[in-house]
Amino acid sequence: MLTCLQLISYKTLAQSDTTKKLKEVTVKATTVPKVQTLTPTQQITNKDFARYSAFNVADAVRNFSGVNIKDYGGIGGLKTISVRSLGANHTAVLFDGVQLNDAQNGQIDLSKFNLNNVQEIAVYNGQSENLLQPARSFASASVLSIKTIQPALTLQKPYQIQAGVKGGSFGLVNPYLQWQQSISKRWSFIANANYVYANGRYKYKVDGDGSDTLAIRRNGDVRSLQADAALYWAKSDSNKFNIHVNYYNSKRGLPGAVIFYNPYASQRLENNDIFAQATYEHTWQSSIRLLINTKLSQLKTRYLDPEFLNQQGGLDQHYNQKEVYQSVALAYHLTPDWEVSYAADASYLKMDADIYNYAYPSRFTLLNVLATNFTKGRWQLQGNLLQTNLNEMVKKGVASKSRSVLSPTLMVTLKPFDNSNLQIRAFYKNIFRAPTLDELYFYAIVPRTIKPEFVKQYDMGITWTKNFNNLLEYITLTTDAYYNTVSNKILAVPNKNPAIFSFSNIGKVDIKGVDVGLKTQTKQQNGWRGLLSANYTYQQATDVSDPTSSTYQNQIPYTPKNTLALNAGVNYKQLGIYYNHILSSSRYYTGNNVPDYYVPGYSISDASAVCNFITGKLPVTASVEVNNLFNKNYSIIRSFPMPGRSYRLSIQITI
Amino acid sequence: MKQFKLKNLLSAVAILSVLASCQKDKKIVVDARVATSGIYVLNQGNFNANNSTLSFYDYTTKSTTSDMFSAANGTKLGDTGNDAKIYGSKMYIVVNVSSTVEVVSAKTVKSIKQVKLFNGAVARQPRYIVFNKNKAYISSYDGTVAVMDTTTLAIEKYITVGRNPEQMVVSNGKLYVANSGGLSFGNPDKTVSVIDLNTLTETKKIQVIANPVSMAADSYGNVYVLSTGDYASILPGMTIIDNNTDAVKTQSTTLVGAYGTAIIVDGDFAYFLTSDKKVLVYNAKTQTVAKANFITDGTVIKTPYSITYDSTTGEVFVTDAKDYASNGELFAFDKNGKKEYSITTGINPGAIVLVNK
Repeated sequence: MLTCLQLISYKTLAQSDTTKKLKEVTVKATTVPKVQTLTPTQQITNKDFARYSAFNVADAVRNFSGVNIKDYGGIGGLKTISVRSLGANHTAVLFDGVQLNDAQNGQIDLSKFNLNNVQEIAVYNGQSENLLQPARSFASASVLSIKTIQPALTLQKPYQIQAGVKGGSFGLVNPYLQWQQSISKRWSFIANANYVYANGRYKYKVDGDGSDTLAIRRNGDVRSLQADAALYWAKSDSNKFNIHVNYYNSKRGLPGAVIFYNPYASQRLENNDIFAQATYEHTWQSSIRLLINTKLSQLKTRYLDPEFLNQQGGLDQHYNQKEVYQSVALAYHLTPDWEVSYAADASYLKMDADIYNYAYPSRFTLLNVLATNFTKGRWQLQGNLLQTNLNEMVKKGVASKSRSVLSPTLMVTLKPFDNSNLQIRAFYKNIFRAPTLDELYFYAIVPRTIKPEFVKQYDMGITWTKNFNNLLEYITLTTDAYYNTVSNKILAVPNKNPAIFSFSNIGKVDIKGVDVGLKTQTKQQNGWRGLLSANYTYQQATDVSDPTSSTYQNQIPYTPKNTLALNAGVNYKQLGIYYNHILSSSRYYTGNNVPDYYVPGYSISDASAVCNFITGKLPVTASVEVNNLFNKNYSIIRSFPMPGRSYRLSIQITI
Repeated sequence: MKQFKLKNLLSAVAILSVLASCQKDKKIVVDARVATSGIYVLNQGNFNANNSTLSFYDYTTKSTTSDMFSAANGTKLGDTGNDAKIYGSKMYIVVNVSSTVEVVSAKTVKSIKQVKLFNGAVARQPRYIVFNKNKAYISSYDGTVAVMDTTTLAIEKYITVGRNPEQMVVSNGKLYVANSGGLSFGNPDKTVSVIDLNTLTETKKIQVIANPVSMAADSYGNVYVLSTGDYASILPGMTIIDNNTDAVKTQSTTLVGAYGTAIIVDGDFAYFLTSDKKVLVYNAKTQTVAKANFITDGTVIKTPYSITYDSTTGEVFVTDAKDYASNGELFAFDKNGKKEYSITTGINPGAIVLVNK
């Protein structure tokens, strides 16, 4: 019901037809991906995760154009997203519309997020076109939005239980359980639990140390538990509330960078995260819409290095981040074509760490955003002005200066022809990210002056979609050319272990790129259906900070110029077979684009097969996934080798 | 564990000859270049990036080889090459994070032996090397100085010193070791260990300014110790020890202005890389500043990193680490402090070794 409504409202924006006709369109539109959006938008829903042999959120979005997943390898390896060469810190990760905020290092490890309770993942360049959302959703260069599964129950069957287990290479065992229950007409809940155990071992090839045998990646074991429960109340679609509690606990070894002649690693990382968030949404007849979000969160991290040669005979560090967050958003249609909104977010965050000379910073952030959307004929115009206030306090040392920044965004679409589904879009977004607390205060023995990193994004693109009545069901094509300028870019350089980075400020970066996406599928014919999608990315991200530097006009580290992702599949009745391919051109791991610092490109294939059947009366889904089908040696981050061929078997029953 | 290491070592040697054919991805050309005379620069690379290299600049051909070690051996140095010195016909390259000492031919860089410094599965993390009477002394972050015979290349003893020892110097028949304690933030060590080179035991610890790192000795009985301080309340400074009495003669945070971390002594003069990017010349005989800056032509070095003096020509060589993340540079200055030439080095050029004839 909910998705249906969304589709209708989406279609209303795209075309001004009569309601009767609209209903017809909606039925067809269910399979056509939403690409004709104000800003480039890519999404994937849970039924497609197996198509991409995806185990976690990072795997699910790695095919998207403009997306670069930095993967340190293995199940417990850090995985972060960089969109259009801007780095992980410029992507806000939203969990059911509320940001997962990590002020300590500003990037979310996507390996933490299992797909078992995820309904949909979307990546927006700029921001989503929804006017009614928290101010934080407007406050980053791009958005990765994770939507969890909501209870979808009927009166006939007031509950649903899904139980499954995944297992395979790296000693992976991943049992999970989902329970949906309708309590009354208005109340329902959903609970998920998911446990991952893996020894994390895999073979890899070492080049350069004279060894001729494969080495085994050790100390990469993972043990994690994620539990998630949500309670939903809905009087109607225009008056609803939910509260969500999410708990994550993991203990993992950090295999570290491959060091020649020294194969021992013993560092460990423990995470203990909990958050509770509540959302209330109300739409009045006068078309005023209200959205309230509240969140409390605590992120605890423990880092252990038993072999660190200090006086204590090892490191055992504890980090604790607590945040209180409140957001209120209001939207109102001044005229049927013109909507305005206002959102205000306040957050207070406190950070503790038992490390030498720590500043114990706290940060108060207040965001105000005014947004407007205007639709007239073939035009849609949207704009917003975000005002950010940052205030920091420290118990020790010097606090970063208070700041107030204004950030404008403008978006426009034009449908030039009546009889063609061609749309032109453009956006400009000026945004910044605050330096993270680690960048500012982590072992900052001498106070650091780090300015916020400013980004200006310019994008222009064409989208085209067409429904067919022949063999093909539809084709969607999108092309966007973009130009980003980054001033005072703070670059994270992989260090000692994936959990700790060193930072270098390389000043200015110019990013020029092109994203191209194609999606198509055939009509179902005698039970058969073919699926194809392709995404291509070109990125030229050059350091333009200092003309006298040897890195001037060189491509910034870890940024491939060309990336191509292909996905093809065949469905036959309840069986699906899929092939995924990612091709990345070579990169350099330092700012000097010289052969010494070359990281070769890679070309990696995955394959999967999914089968849905019924045993007794219970629907069962079984799948086999193979990652790195051709067992290639490669690494995304140098010295952090990726696994060779690996397998995963899954089986799930629904009661 | 020992078997494992031996196996590695054996295979490393055995594979050497066939390596070029084994490697599919990268062509490693085994280069039989002979370093007759020139400059080796040991580049640390980036921490945990396995990209330490040994640059070589040939005086005759005026050409630079970016990594003599891999060119000669087909294998790489590993992670964070921290110190290199020539003793006799051999060059010893101390690789910190890989925890090895690579013993190679000083002229060809051909590997003679890779000495691994591990205490079980714990890397000792070697830092610096000095020599005396056919013995090499290797300081390691695990609080030891290893004694290695320069003929058999076997480690004969580990002498326990203070925390995280860095540079050492041999003076008056004694080995002075700077115990930095630099890995305990906020609680650095502040001693110099004195080791009797006859008994190979630590005889005393001398109190110096906290976090001592760099050392040098002159012919007037002075041992110079540069300390980094604790980066907060304790300022960096220099301690001068009398090598007869082992008493502290002078301790100052202002004697030579802004302290950096590198010092060398040649003849009557000590050369300091100062934190305000100068090469300060200090008269060891009179114990006064001779020149505020050796560089006379205004050459700007962004991040002075290491320094060497050529006593035959009076030249001074200084490396520049730039932004610590990209390629560095080596500057050659003539005896008048004028730039002669500069060459591109690898990342973080931390040690310079001159090889003449």
